[in-house]
Amino acid sequence: MMMLEDGCIQLLCLTASSGVPLFTRGASKQLPFSVIGSLNGVHMFGGGQGVLLSCCETEGGGKVVWRVFHDSVMLIAVSRGGSSGGCSKEEEIRLQRLLENVWHCMVLVLGQDELVNLRNVERLKRDLRSCFCLIDQLLEEKQQGVLGNLTHCADSLLPPNPTLLQEAVDGFAQAADSEFGCLFVHGRIAVATEKWWRLAPQEVVLLSALVRTLSASGSASCDYPVFLPQGSPTVAHRLLRFQLLPGADVCVLCGPTPSLHRAESELVGQLWSPLVETLRSCLSVGERSLPGSVPLRPDVLALLLINRETRRSVSCVQLSSYHLLSDPSLSKSRCWELLKLFYIFSMSRYFTQEETLCVSAEDGAQGGHTEDFLHGFSHQPQQCYLVTEECKSYGLQTPRHQLFLLMLPSVPTFALRTVATQTLSDIISATAF
Amino acid sequence: MARVPPPGSFIPDWHRCTESKEYFNKIIHKKKRKNFGLLESPVMPPHAAVDTVHYKIFISGKSGVGKTALAARLAGLNFPNVHHETTGIQTTVVYWPAKLIENGRVLFFRLQLWDCGESALRRFDHLLPSCKEQVDAVLFLFSFTDRTSFVDLLNQIPKWTESSHGCLAKVVVGTKFDLFMHCDVAEKDVRKFQETWRLPVLRSGGEVSDGLGDVAPILNCLAENLWHQDCVRAGAAIQHPQQESVTLL
Ligand SMILES: Nc1nc2c(ncn2[C@@H]2O[C@H](COP(=O)(O)OP(=O)(O)OP(=O)(O)O)[C@@H](O)[C@H]2O)c(=O)[nH]1
Ligand SMILES: [Mg+2]
Repeated sequence: MMMLEDGCIQLLCLTASSGVPLFTRGASKQLPFSVIGSLNGVHMFGGGQGVLLSCCETEGGGKVVWRVFHDSVMLIAVSRGGSSGGCSKEEEIRLQRLLENVWHCMVLVLGQDELVNLRNVERLKRDLRSCFCLIDQLLEEKQQGVLGNLTHCADSLLPPNPTLLQEAVDGFAQAADSEFGCLFVHGRIAVATEKWWRLAPQEVVLLSALVRTLSASGSASCDYPVFLPQGSPTVAHRLLRFQLLPGADVCVLCGPTPSLHRAESELVGQLWSPLVETLRSCLSVGERSLPGSVPLRPDVLALLLINRETRRSVSCVQLSSYHLLSDPSLSKSRCWELLKLFYIFSMSRYFTQEETLCVSAEDGAQGGHTEDFLHGFSHQPQQCYLVTEECKSYGLQTPRHQLFLLMLPSVPTFALRTVATQTLSDIISATAF
Repeated sequence: MARVPPPGSFIPDWHRCTESKEYFNKIIHKKKRKNFGLLESPVMPPHAAVDTVHYKIFISGKSGVGKTALAARLAGLNFPNVHHETTGIQTTVVYWPAKLIENGRVLFFRLQLWDCGESALRRFDHLLPSCKEQVDAVLFLFSFTDRTSFVDLLNQIPKWTESSHGCLAKVVVGTKFDLFMHCDVAEKDVRKFQETWRLPVLRSGGEVSDGLGDVAPILNCLAENLWHQDCVRAGAAIQHPQQESVTLL
């Protein structure tokens, strides 16, 4: 694995039956063909012996993860590992999730039929290029403040005035002959119709990722055919997206009507113009994702709060001069990285994961990352903490919520729990999240 | 088919004149082009209010020719260096002020560029009709580095006839003009094409710059052709009082 740069992930896609390479993405330097061939070969060999090879580790801390989807497509992720500070188990979970997400991207763009009935490999190779934009985004993972790919919860922003916006989204979706409508602010879901929340959590996350890419391109509106990996893997729907204001996008999932032209000229202005000021105040919530009315203690560095019932999450990093006084080397991106690592740490070792880090059943059960000692206990840990040089972290779960909180190292360890419970109840009482 | 080229009815290089500053300032923010949401538009103070005219423009050309890149360039946005296929329709709005030579009237053009990835057009039947709905102009793209894309124009242009699409302004843009080392389309071929089809051919390429210099010729040309076509249309219907003074041809 010496050929890969530190921390880089390379993704390989092959046909499962014959090992024909379909594409590779990631790492600037490609693995030699012979290595790709061996990676495929060793997996096939295992298959012949009735063994499912799903992951292996190299001496240098590299990782390879395999996964076959619908007996037709094999995805392999290869990582050099190590740089981000996660241990090997965390890396494995990350890669497993990556493969799952990549497959969903492929279905979203091409539909399941084309991927499962491999009639024409050359054509599939060409068509797969349409997925690269989304897949590359998954591999880069550099988007700060977006954790949905990992948590499979919808990254949300809690608007200061949700009722008006909720009515507007409901009305807009209805006018566009759709039950699925969603308003994104800074790439996070501010409000959505009830049906949107009934999409599979992975779909909500995937659509969010698509909308973020489209929104980042600066375009004004879009009409994108999309297949829903769970809900409609073989019939395409249309995702219409309109940039109301820079940073505020409204979407609907609909059938053949209305046309993009008509929806834009007849519906967008009429239904959304009265709400420009409301949208602006929502935009001003910014990266914090929580309205100003929610107090956060100054020694909090970052937080991720998940609602386990609605599969939504809010997260933020608060890095002020106050924090930099204590550690000038802290950066926003490092805080996001630490938050992700702490999430994986807690989920892989202590917290229940039936709804998150498990692998959907029809694709072969490969779950079971929980540390072995846990199985010896009759109870389930509800809180955990971790003290490192950079920060102190506290995780806690209740039947409805999970909170992951990063604090300054100066906070006394015995106070972590109080800060965490206080933060949780502050947010819930102020926003009903 | 042969068309008389439209007259130079807008002031060329108007963006360089000091008197245009107050208009161009509305589309520029901190030396960068401003991105307008659908609920926004440039607003002039009451004493200088001008009309905004709306147009829909379809960008045609094969995959990788640079449709998405051109739309971004015209809007002053950066585009990635790697080619990512556009998997549906993406529209981009460009506001552009222009001044009529004849009567000094200033107009804001709202040009909405419709860009659809070629492979998406092939895979989904509903996309092309949607792009054609009430379209006012077509930008035909070819790449200077790909001769087949130039030859393909001869197949593409005749598909957009007056009888099936009504009045349509047509402009041709050659992309990747900066990659002259790999140039695959000779200057004389372009000239010959221009004479045969009587369509304006413009060139684009290079890094996206903050200035307006590299997009102004394309936007002015589009604006002029669209305005010209509107005048013809209006003239064919009833004499439009506002446009009486416009001398055509
Ligand atoms: N040097 C140079 N590169 C360009 C220019 N225009 C486009 N490109 C590059 O050409 C590639 C393809 O451009 P796109 O705009 O994505 O192509 P497209 O026509 O939208 O392709 P589809 O969406 O697949 O139909 C990209 O890598 C661009 O960076 C240009 O004027 N100069
Ligand atoms: Mg494109």
